Amino acid sequence: MQDDSQVFERIVRPHFDRLYRLSWRLAGARAEADDLFQEVLIKAFGKLDQLLRIEEPGSWLSRMMYNLFVDRHRRFARQRLVMVEEGQLSGEGVQGFAGDDNPERDSQRIEQIEALDRALSQLSEEHRIVVLLHDTDGYKLQEIQELIGIPVGTVKSRLHRARARLRQLLTDSGTFSR
Amino acid sequence: MNRRDDNTLTEERQLLDLLKDYPMPQATTGFYDEALVRAAEEGRRRQKRRWVLTGFGSAVAAGLAIVMVALTLVNTPDLPTVDDSIPGVTIALAEPRTVNLVFSSTEALDTATLTVSLPAGIELEGFPGQSEISWETSLAEGRNLLPLKLIAVAPTGGELLARLVHDDRDRTFRLRVDVG
Repeated sequence: MQDDSQVFERIVRPHFDRLYRLSWRLAGARAEADDLFQEVLIKAFGKLDQLLRIEEPGSWLSRMMYNLFVDRHRRFARQRLVMVEEGQLSGEGVQGFAGDDNPERDSQRIEQIEALDRALSQLSEEHRIVVLLHDTDGYKLQEIQELIGIPVGTVKSRLHRARARLRQLLTDSGTFSR
Repeated sequence: MNRRDDNTLTEERQLLDLLKDYPMPQATTGFYDEALVRAAEEGRRRQKRRWVLTGFGSAVAAGLAIVMVALTLVNTPDLPTVDDSIPGVTIALAEPRTVNLVFSSTEALDTATLTVSLPAGIELEGFPGQSEISWETSLAEGRNLLPLKLIAVAPTGGELLARLVHDDRDRTFRLRVDVG
């Protein structure tokens, strides 16, 4: 016989890595990402009965995370307060990320990634999130539509604009040469 | 296809390669396990709190209670200052209560950093377990309102600090929080 925490863990743990990456993409910094991830788990635990009946817990948890993120954002926007922007990699840098499948990456590539990071930080939040979810984390357009709650056409439009802006920024910074 | 199209296609390919290589963040060792333990503990505590509040039928009233604490002094040209006497507020255990901090500034301040430090046993709604929360903010000339929804999770209380930093100057506001 499993207690409720064991049942909860069995359902949610398989989705942790994907969920944690999403919290990073939304929050943009480790402290806020950890906090967002934690808050989702707390809320989800309180809805264990509902969670047991859901066919796709991963999508359900992701939507809960996105809604919580938006809710927090709106709440603080109303207060004229903005969460401290640490920047995508600030404080830890590219080396601060685990999971690099190419440890012998040369310094030029690291410089390019850092330039990309700076460019990403100049995008609007809605563009940054869409391009990272689609082009880095491999979300399908349909998945982004369901997560964010906007039409696929709008997702495509944001993706197109985000890429165009990134190309421009990376060209201007000399990362892409013509 | 002209040269411009070629350039665009090349850059698009470079960009997609770069984005695929953009690092995947991973949690620190042990974070998932700790998060699960805390989710179960905090989840049960919140459920219990909901039952208690439902029993008394007072959740809405408690949640809407507002205390206004004015932290208003304007005798410096730079940052708002604080009164010598520490204002205080009493909140009930497990009943969310909004405390409005009012900052008065003699001038508009951009990119000031506000850090709220909470005493043990007091939490800010939406930030469970966090004793310190920071924001970057701007202050308009005049009165600036910061609503904080506080929840007492233990009958301890203490001093809440709101520290405002702008450039190399800072000012700390104090609020005594009692749990009654």
